[in-house]
Amino acid sequence: MRCVHTFDLGNSAPLAEEAFRAFLRETSTGADRLLTLFAEEPSPGRFLLHAVAGGAAPGRFLYACVETSPRSFRTFTDVCPGTHWFEREIYDLFGLMPEGHPELNPLRFHEAWPKKFFPLRSTDAPAPDPRRGYRFLVVRGEGIHEVAVGPVHAGIIEPGHFRFSCAGETIQNLEIRLGYQHKGIESLFPGGPEMGKILLSESISGDTAVGHSTACVRLLEAITAKPADPSAERWRAVALEIERISNHCGDLGGLSTDIGYLFGAAHFGRLRGAALNLLLRITGNRFGRGLNRIGGIGPRVPGIAPEDLMAELGRLRAEMKDVGTTLLDAPSVGVRMEGTGRLLPHTAKTLQFVGLTARASGRDVDARRDFPSPAYVDSPPVNVLLDAGDVMARARVRFLEMRASFDWLSGILAGAMPPGTIAAEGVVPAAGRRLVVSVEEGWRGEIVHAAVVDGEKRITRYKVVDPSFRNWPALSFAVQKNVISDFPVCNKSFNLSYSGTDL
Amino acid sequence: MLESILKRASVGNVTVALPAGDLPSPFRGMPEVGEAFRTGGAAATCAKACATDAIDPEKRTIDLGRCVFCGLCEEACGGEGIRFSQNPRLPWGKRENLVLGGSDVSLAPASADLRSLLGRSLHLREVSAGGCNGCDLEAQALGNPIFDLQRFGIDFVASPRHADGLLVTGPVSKNMREALVKTYEAIAEPRIVIAIGACAASGGIFRGSYAVEDGVGNVLPVDLFIPGCPPHPLTLLYAILGFLGRSPEKIPRG
Repeated sequence: MRCVHTFDLGNSAPLAEEAFRAFLRETSTGADRLLTLFAEEPSPGRFLLHAVAGGAAPGRFLYACVETSPRSFRTFTDVCPGTHWFEREIYDLFGLMPEGHPELNPLRFHEAWPKKFFPLRSTDAPAPDPRRGYRFLVVRGEGIHEVAVGPVHAGIIEPGHFRFSCAGETIQNLEIRLGYQHKGIESLFPGGPEMGKILLSESISGDTAVGHSTACVRLLEAITAKPADPSAERWRAVALEIERISNHCGDLGGLSTDIGYLFGAAHFGRLRGAALNLLLRITGNRFGRGLNRIGGIGPRVPGIAPEDLMAELGRLRAEMKDVGTTLLDAPSVGVRMEGTGRLLPHTAKTLQFVGLTARASGRDVDARRDFPSPAYVDSPPVNVLLDAGDVMARARVRFLEMRASFDWLSGILAGAMPPGTIAAEGVVPAAGRRLVVSVEEGWRGEIVHAAVVDGEKRITRYKVVDPSFRNWPALSFAVQKNVISDFPVCNKSFNLSYSGTDL
Repeated sequence: MLESILKRASVGNVTVALPAGDLPSPFRGMPEVGEAFRTGGAAATCAKACATDAIDPEKRTIDLGRCVFCGLCEEACGGEGIRFSQNPRLPWGKRENLVLGGSDVSLAPASADLRSLLGRSLHLREVSAGGCNGCDLEAQALGNPIFDLQRFGIDFVASPRHADGLLVTGPVSKNMREALVKTYEAIAEPRIVIAIGACAASGGIFRGSYAVEDGVGNVLPVDLFIPGCPPHPLTLLYAILGFLGRSPEKIPRG
C-alpha cells in the first residue's frame, strides 16, 4: 500500500548528526518533503529523533534517525526551516533543547505548568533544564502599538492568542500563541492497537474525523495485519471527499461572513449542512465518526445506496456551482479578497507548507497523488494549483477542489465494485521494533500518523501531524502589511485547527 | 445581484420545524436498552466493548455523559443489549440525569425563577475548552438557516458582559482553565452554564489525560449537561428549549 509504510528500526542504525542534518536539508531543497519529525525515548535516558520524508514518487518514503544527548541537540532550522515548530514540540514534550533555535517559545505548556514538566520524558532520565518562559517578539518604532486578541475570541471558535504589532492600521508582525487546546492526545495512544485508538483519532480535530481516523486505521491495520478490502477502502475515500466538500463549503460561507456577504454565508452554511447530512447517511454521524473499524468499515456503513448518494451529490453539486460562481464573480467580493493576505510561493516552499494553503501558493503537494490509498491509485481527483497566494486564491482552490471531488465521486460511485482483496502489504513482522507511517490527504492537507511498535505489536510512541501544525506560521506571513481589519478574512482563508495543532 | 435574489426565491424556507422526528438510518441517537442488558449477559459484553467506560455492568447503567456514540457496544452484543435508535432527543439536565438505568428518563429543567428571567431571551457566550472542535461546529450550526436558533430568542454573543450564560465545549484543558473561569466571572449574575458533549460532561475520550480537568463540572457549577459526541444540533435545540421550559411541540415553524 502506497499510503502506509513500515520501517524496520532494528536495521536502521542512527545516523551521524551531520548525515541526519543533510537528510533534513534535502527535504528543504529536493523533491522529497518532510512528513514528520519527532522524538522518542526507547529506553530511560536514551533519546532518538525520527524523521520521515518522501513524496517525490508515489509511495516513496524515506527514513532517518539520530541519537541526541538527554539535554539538547543542535537546531536544524538553519538547514530546514520547516522543522521550526517540530523542534518546539520536541522541547515541550521531552525537554530536549534545540540549541540555536530562532524562537524557542513553548508550544504546549503555559505558565501554570511546572517548569520541569515534560510529559513524554521518563522520570528515570537525567533531569532536564527547566523550561524557559514565553517571550513575545517586541516590535519597536514610533507609533507601534500592540493589539492582543484571545484566547477567547468573538464567535464560536477554538481558543488561541494573537498578538498584533501595528503601525496605525497596518500589521507589522503577528505572533500566534497556541496550546490552549492541548489535551495530551499523544500520551493516550501507547498500548495495544485497539478500536479505542480509532475513537481517539476521530477527536484529534473534529472537522477532520474521517481524515484522521482513516490515517489511524490503516496504521493499525498494518500493525495487526488486517487490511481492509477494496470496497471498504472505496467508502473511506468517498467519505474523505465528502468531508472535503463539506469543509470547503463551510469555509466559503465563513469567508462570506467575514466580508459581510450574507448571501454566501447563508447558502454555503445551508449547503455545508447538506454535505454533513450525507456523511450522516453513510456513517451515522455528521462528521463521519463510526466510519472506520480495524480491518474495514462499520457494519452499518454505508447507510445509503451508491445510486441514492449519487443523486444527492448531483443536486448538491448544482447548487454549490450556482452559489460559488455568484460569490467568486461578485465585484464586491473580489475587491475584498484579491491581493489580501498574500502568501508568497517562496515562503510556502521554504517552510514546507502543505495542503490547500500550499496549492494556492504554487506548491504542488497532494498526498492523494503522492501517497495514494487504494481508491486513489489509478486516478486521484484532478490536481488544483494556483499561485496568487491571496485570500481569493485560497477561496478558488476550495471551489475548484470541490468540483474535482464531485467529478471523482461520480466516477467511483458509478464504477463497478473493485474485485478481490488486497495483499497485506506493510505488515509488521512478528518480532522487533518497527516504525509504521500512514499518510492521508485531509481537506486541509496531508495528515501524517506514525507509530513506534515494539516486538509484541504494542504502540510505544504515537506521533500525529495535522496539516494545521505545519501551516500556522503561514498566517503570520500572510497578514504582514495588511490592515488589521482584514485579519478575520485572512484567518478564515486558512481556517486552521487549534485542536489538531495543540493535540 | 439578480442571481442572488433568484436563488433566494428558488430555495424557499429551509428551517427545520420542531419536533423534527427521527433522523435517517444509520444515525446513532438515543440508545434503547434490551432485556438482555437489564437482566442477561449483554451488560458485561457491552461494557467490555466500551472504550470510555460508559457502561456499568453491575448497576446495568449507561452513562451518556461518557458515551461517544461509537456503536461498538451495539456491535458487540448484536443489538440485543443496546441498540441505538435514530431519535436525536437525548436526556439532559444535571450530571446524574445523563445516566440511563431502568426505563424512565428524568430531566432537570431550570428553576421557575430562571425560566421566567431567561425563558424567552437567552444570550450565551461560547467557550471552547480543550475539545476537538466537533461540538463547537454543532453549536455554530445552530445559527445557520436550517436550525435558526435566533427564532427562539436565543443567540450567541461576543462578549461575556452581554451574556446570560456560558456554553462550554471540551474537557477543559488545563491551559484553558483560567480563561474559562475569567469568562464565567465576567458574566453578570444570575448566570447559567451549559456543558455540551461527552468531553464537557466527563472528559469523554480524553478522560484521565494529564492535560485535562475531566469535564466542566470540575471547574464551574454546571446547570445543564447535554450528551453527544458531538450532540446533533437538534439534540442541542431540544435540550436547551426543554431546560427553559419551552415545549418543542408548541413552537411554530420559523
